Amino acid sequence: MSPDATSDRGETLVPFYRRLGHLGLRSRLIATFALGALVLSASMATIAYLTTRHFLIVERQAAVLHQAYANAALLRGALASKVPHIDAQLSSLDTGRGTASVLNVDGRWFTTSLAASRSTLPVSLRQTVHDGSVGTLVSKSITAPSLAVGVPLPAVHASYFLIYDLTDLQHTLRILLAALGAAATVTTLLGGALGLAASRRAMSPLTEVSDAAVSIAAGELGTRLPIDTRDPDLLGLTTSFNAMVDQLVARLERDARFTSDVSHELRSPLTTLAASLEVLESRRDELPDRERRAIELMAGDVQRFQRLVADLLEISRADAEADELNVDSVEAGELIRRSVIAAQRVIPGGEDLSVTVTPQAEHARLLADKRRIERIITNLLENAANHAGGASEVAVSVVDESVEVSVTDHGAGISPSERSKVFDRFYRGTAAGRRGSSGGSGLGLALVAEHVRRHGGSVFVEEGPGGVGSRFTVRLPLETSEPA
Amino acid sequence: MTDRILIVEDDERIRSSMRLSFEGEGYDVDEAESGEQALDLFRESPQDLVLVDLMLPGMDGFECCRALRKNSAVPIIMVTARNDTHDVVAGLEAGADDYVTKPFVPKELAARMRALLRRARSEDHDGPAIRQFGDFELIPDEGVLRRSDGSDVHCTRTEFRLLCELAASPNKVLSREQLLERVWGYDYFGDGRLVDVHMRRLRTKIEQDPALPEHLQTVRGMGYKLVP
Repeated sequence: MSPDATSDRGETLVPFYRRLGHLGLRSRLIATFALGALVLSASMATIAYLTTRHFLIVERQAAVLHQAYANAALLRGALASKVPHIDAQLSSLDTGRGTASVLNVDGRWFTTSLAASRSTLPVSLRQTVHDGSVGTLVSKSITAPSLAVGVPLPAVHASYFLIYDLTDLQHTLRILLAALGAAATVTTLLGGALGLAASRRAMSPLTEVSDAAVSIAAGELGTRLPIDTRDPDLLGLTTSFNAMVDQLVARLERDARFTSDVSHELRSPLTTLAASLEVLESRRDELPDRERRAIELMAGDVQRFQRLVADLLEISRADAEADELNVDSVEAGELIRRSVIAAQRVIPGGEDLSVTVTPQAEHARLLADKRRIERIITNLLENAANHAGGASEVAVSVVDESVEVSVTDHGAGISPSERSKVFDRFYRGTAAGRRGSSGGSGLGLALVAEHVRRHGGSVFVEEGPGGVGSRFTVRLPLETSEPA
Repeated sequence: MTDRILIVEDDERIRSSMRLSFEGEGYDVDEAESGEQALDLFRESPQDLVLVDLMLPGMDGFECCRALRKNSAVPIIMVTARNDTHDVVAGLEAGADDYVTKPFVPKELAARMRALLRRARSEDHDGPAIRQFGDFELIPDEGVLRRSDGSDVHCTRTEFRLLCELAASPNKVLSREQLLERVWGYDYFGDGRLVDVHMRRLRTKIEQDPALPEHLQTVRGMGYKLVP
């Protein structure tokens, strides 16, 4: 045996044992049911076969024995009265179908069939009869199974043998065996089918649980399993599952509320700070340089702080889905142009930013929440300003069924491994680890993703054209039907 | 003449800082720490504009707005904690003319105030093209809407301005953006809910059946128009 074969064997043998354990619950149930049905039906069939066979042989034996006695008595009479032509006498005996008689008178053998003769009689039977006893013997020869009975007739120095051909019986038994085998097979298949049905039935609560889990994972936090109090076995599962989801939702809500509460609490002092600072700022020209610089620093950070709190509130509202989309049917070209203008009021620099809108996109209609789109554009431009030295181009076009808005910059670019992470909350790239004085809240791109998602669109980032910088692309679905 | 502004806000620090900021802008400022106090103050001395925080202990901002509106058309700006439709719409329905969301940028609030005050002075450029529609007559000089039986319809200055803008081009559709710009001084990104809620309020005052408006009609996906 080659080493390969050995390892093959080793690999197939061990897992075979384990593979049963690895089978799915459904397959295991089916296998168990089928195996149970097989064992049961096979043993029933075996018992039925053996019992029937035994009964048939014993019955046949008794009949043959009875016949043999009757024939022997007739022959003894005939021999005693010296009837000539004993062979004719022998032939005239009514022995029934499939039988043959053999007679031995003083060493001379007579037979009624060519198939039966002295030599076909088993020696042991002849001996038993010769010794003066009645002998019965079942020959189990496959080609010619037979039953032979020998009756000694000592008074006339003869012995009579009746040979009964068992081929018919064997044939009957074969048919019986086939029928029983077929029944066992059908029963096994039925067992398997029953197992399949049972497994379906047993799996259906699990399927429900799995469906519920999928929908919860997809954000349908209100999903619960229906409670069926009639089924005590499932009650435990459904109650504990629902309790788990309740806990999860409570936990999520607590987290979200915490963020929201913190932000709400921050608003009041922030409002005071901003209003007071404005009073100082309006007098900045009258202040000495040092104080003026201090106020400028403070004003910058208060503004940043306000953005952060506003962003935090916005994202916590988005998490709680408490904010409704306030949609209007608008033209993509105007919306994006105006958004860029509004964004440039907040973001310093970016005077050389070009906005190109394809003719097709100009009047393409979107069902959009204008202020959210403005936030998307502002945040993308702000991101470019903070991390890539400002955006170079905003392009609007129609691709398939969407309006595509892309913001390109000529910055250092984003490595492929970081591209999916930039939309995470508070994610700060390795290259742009510093928090510049104009650094955003760290939530800008996360909010972009959130707003885009609420519009049923998508956003992604890729390498900028020519391998320079990066390009953020937002896809927003076109308004499908005309407003009624 | 300096405008007098009433700040209704329960947080003492915010109140004080806003007073400083508004006084710096040249306004006279009154402060109230509760809705009740605000109503008392309002009775004592006339105000040109009221700034109401919606979250107040005792009588809340909505109730305060409603109480003020009962017998005054004074411009009201509400300060909401959230941008939620529920708060915004409820506040506007309670009678507020405009809103700002906390934390607000003081400059932004100042701009909103200026727009409202300018409008309140009703130093109108050109009057409406038509003065009469249905049973009503617009009298821009007095800033009132009069029924043919001689009684006045109580409407706020914002509502009156809205009506004047629509009447300036009867039967012509004006988009929400146009109305926002002309009446509130908002740009493209103004909140369309302001227009919707004010139109709703106007209809309850003018229309026989506000659900089936005869004069103030909505053109779905376009805007509003006045049908004389």
